[in-house]
Amino acid sequence: MTELERHDIQGIVISSYIHLSCAAYVLLRVTDAPKARRWLAEISGEITTAQGKQEQTSTNIAFTHPGLAKLGLDEHALKTFSRPFIEGMATEYRARILGDRGESAPPFWGWGNSNCDRAQEHNPNPPVDILLLLFARDEATLAAEIERRRASFVASGGVEEILLLEAGRQPDTKEHFGFNDGIGQPVIAGSGKKERQQQRTHHATELPAGEFLMGYTNDYDVIAEGPFVEPGRDPGNLLPVIPPNTQSLYDPGGNHDLGRNGTYLVFRQLAQHVADFWQFLDAATRGPDNASDSEACVRLGAKFVGRWPSGASLVQYPERDPHAADGQLTNENNFGYTQTDASGFACPIGSHVRRANPRDSIGPDAETARRSANRHRIMRRGRSYGTRQPDHFVDDGVERGLHFICLNSDIERQFEFVQLTWINNPAFGGLYNEVDPVIGNLDRTDGMMTVQCEPLRTRVHNLRRFITVRGGAYFFLPGINALRYLAALTT
Amino acid sequence: MSHSVLTFIAKVKPDKVAELEQLLAEIADSLLEQTHLPFPKLTLLHFASLFLSKDETYGVTLVFENNFDGPLDAYLKELYCHAADGLHRIYSCCVDYPASSTADREQMLGYLRAHVVRPNAYHIGNPGRTAARIAQEAQLRDLLECTADTLTCSGHPKLPAQDLRQQLQAAVKRQPEFSWAANTRPRLSWAERVIPVITFWGTIVLAGLIILFFWQVTIPLILLYLVVLRWKERHDPVWIGAAQHDHVGQLTQREDRTHTFQNHMASFAIVKPGLFRLLTLRAVLWFVNLKARTAIHGELSGIPSIHFAHWSLIDGGRRLLFVSNFDGSWENYLDDFIDKASPGLTAIWSNTVDFPRTRFLIKGGARDGSRFKADARAYQVYTNVWYSAYRDLTVQSIDANSALREDLYQPLAPAGVQTWLQRL
Repeated sequence: MTELERHDIQGIVISSYIHLSCAAYVLLRVTDAPKARRWLAEISGEITTAQGKQEQTSTNIAFTHPGLAKLGLDEHALKTFSRPFIEGMATEYRARILGDRGESAPPFWGWGNSNCDRAQEHNPNPPVDILLLLFARDEATLAAEIERRRASFVASGGVEEILLLEAGRQPDTKEHFGFNDGIGQPVIAGSGKKERQQQRTHHATELPAGEFLMGYTNDYDVIAEGPFVEPGRDPGNLLPVIPPNTQSLYDPGGNHDLGRNGTYLVFRQLAQHVADFWQFLDAATRGPDNASDSEACVRLGAKFVGRWPSGASLVQYPERDPHAADGQLTNENNFGYTQTDASGFACPIGSHVRRANPRDSIGPDAETARRSANRHRIMRRGRSYGTRQPDHFVDDGVERGLHFICLNSDIERQFEFVQLTWINNPAFGGLYNEVDPVIGNLDRTDGMMTVQCEPLRTRVHNLRRFITVRGGAYFFLPGINALRYLAALTT
Repeated sequence: MSHSVLTFIAKVKPDKVAELEQLLAEIADSLLEQTHLPFPKLTLLHFASLFLSKDETYGVTLVFENNFDGPLDAYLKELYCHAADGLHRIYSCCVDYPASSTADREQMLGYLRAHVVRPNAYHIGNPGRTAARIAQEAQLRDLLECTADTLTCSGHPKLPAQDLRQQLQAAVKRQPEFSWAANTRPRLSWAERVIPVITFWGTIVLAGLIILFFWQVTIPLILLYLVVLRWKERHDPVWIGAAQHDHVGQLTQREDRTHTFQNHMASFAIVKPGLFRLLTLRAVLWFVNLKARTAIHGELSGIPSIHFAHWSLIDGGRRLLFVSNFDGSWENYLDDFIDKASPGLTAIWSNTVDFPRTRFLIKGGARDGSRFKADARAYQVYTNVWYSAYRDLTVQSIDANSALREDLYQPLAPAGVQTWLQRL
């Protein structure tokens, strides 16, 4: 197994910084390339790497394709990035495959739609060039960190703040609908995290580093391809030379490796309509006398999500939440579908977690299915934003949701595949005309969810979108050497 | 009921390419409303497509793909009746087209007949079912699903299984327009199921016997073949090249547009030079075709999502045309190729230029997933026009609908009743 070059890898790749409970994401625009590069050079030494833990704060940085162009990366190198990253998230094609329709369509976004053709008619956002990810152990430290970073880029005169997206401290690991989240997570081979994941969730899926880092071998046993620059464009030899005869797809041997130790970061701001979600469940589970049935209501919510509020899987606890009374959370994750729940009687086939990772259930046999599903995993790094809604059923008018962030070395094969082939696929797992009940594109169906049951299924009708996409973009999260290279560009 | 799976292939006059592309774009832009090729009126049609290959050696080629019920003549009659104008305009752009107006019925149909290419190998996901039957069975499912919704309350069925089934049967019986459901044959007769299997295994056993009986000749020949094959496999160049963003970007404009993500893929691969690869490819396609005839549950080598696929050797065997109408995304389809059907498709496409490195014809190859996908994209062409008669149905849902209908009135044991109810 190849050793990870930890000093060159940004920390967020291997850590979700759970010890740093506050975060803020700063969207920046380049206004003056030379000054912006000087600022990059200044902070490149302060970027948190995968080597050693920082107790107070962590800082990571990522770039959009237009951002790299503005910083002066040459045209040839710009073309060596992957197609989704070059085209961006807000195109008509991507809106179609990601399910961004209706209110979630890019023209209505609050940020990130600058390259969307139809944006001009509605709400053109300023182009996002740089994403600065700041993490801190508490509110005060975060506030100080934001001010310090602000002072530095304001002083540089090269970058301008577009928007600050904050993700404050949450009381626990539940997302806003009230379900324990972030349990299942793949482990990067060589990251040393396998044992911890095994202890935390009683299960660990270890995947080759190339699934999440460019320049390493991926699950197809070839080097995950990344961007590169021609040797003449890197006179200072800041980047490693790609050895000839790699198994890489387009044999860029001899060129300089811009992608090494970097990856792609997907960012989507998903607003959650908590009261809509719970009021819908309540209405759908009322008894014949029209009285609310809180147990049935939570049960149906769990059927939508695929886990109980505590995080316990429906596969393992089909009848009730083992922690309904004590309110404890569980990260138990050691289960499959084929052996215990092939028909979806416990965890519905169309439930959110089963769609987001079907594990061993989609394929001719469990092993082939699992291997195939593992080619489409993502590393989730998102955080909730906004305060908890005091009463799930009462809308308090406060904006809240999830800053969904995930990392993958191949956006098309990983993040976009999950959205298109699993989440928004009306025929997923042999289903008929329905999409993910929690995050699916409910604008394009009559909004249905089938709950498998013996002897006959029930169908819940008239679902509507419980989340709205507010913005999003694809970023390149470079290795530290690549960051220094960008800072040293001269054109 | 048998299907016809074929393409009409014609060369386009160089000065008419732009005009033809314009016309095809017009058709695609208002696919269901346009009158050039009014696909919804063609009752025999399952899937159709039109696309072009622009090649320096072979010129511009127009392929008109058709998958339909019954023999060619009946389909041509329907096609002429509804689409004569469009066909005339399209083929007026093609070389040697003799008809001067749509009144020249015999000239037009004669031209089409002369340009029929029947595939060397093909697969049908839902054999035995006409387009009309598929539509009927989908309506039957809708009726059963809506009825089932009335039989559950707050997540609980109101009745035991046997009573639920009786209620569902009664609901169908009440609707006179579903009277067909009672007296329709199963999708395939016993003979239609068994004969392909006997043919397939009979051929394998026969081939084995021949090899054994003439072992003094066949064994050395096989060894010689393997030596040549291995040498070629080590030396044939494979796909190396930067991703073609613009080309793939253009292809994706056409993808994932239908409700359940049915998609179309057409590609022109170049057969490797020499007789060795061509003969190997012919033999492999012959074998794949034999095997595909035994696939009656909608699966081809474990891939559950192909409605119609064909492979045709064209241009004197120097190019391999592949067309497929499949469910789900392109990425998912290619992944299925890699994970489930790698040996078969490697045996086919390894005889074409740029395919990833293979071992013994069936090993390796497509398992080099990223290279395989890049290679597949490189030879894929833009589908100008594509029509599906049932864009909301997958191969598996069509099969499930047939099973629902076939067992609707059958006497079933309690376990059978459970299984039947679970199909909803």
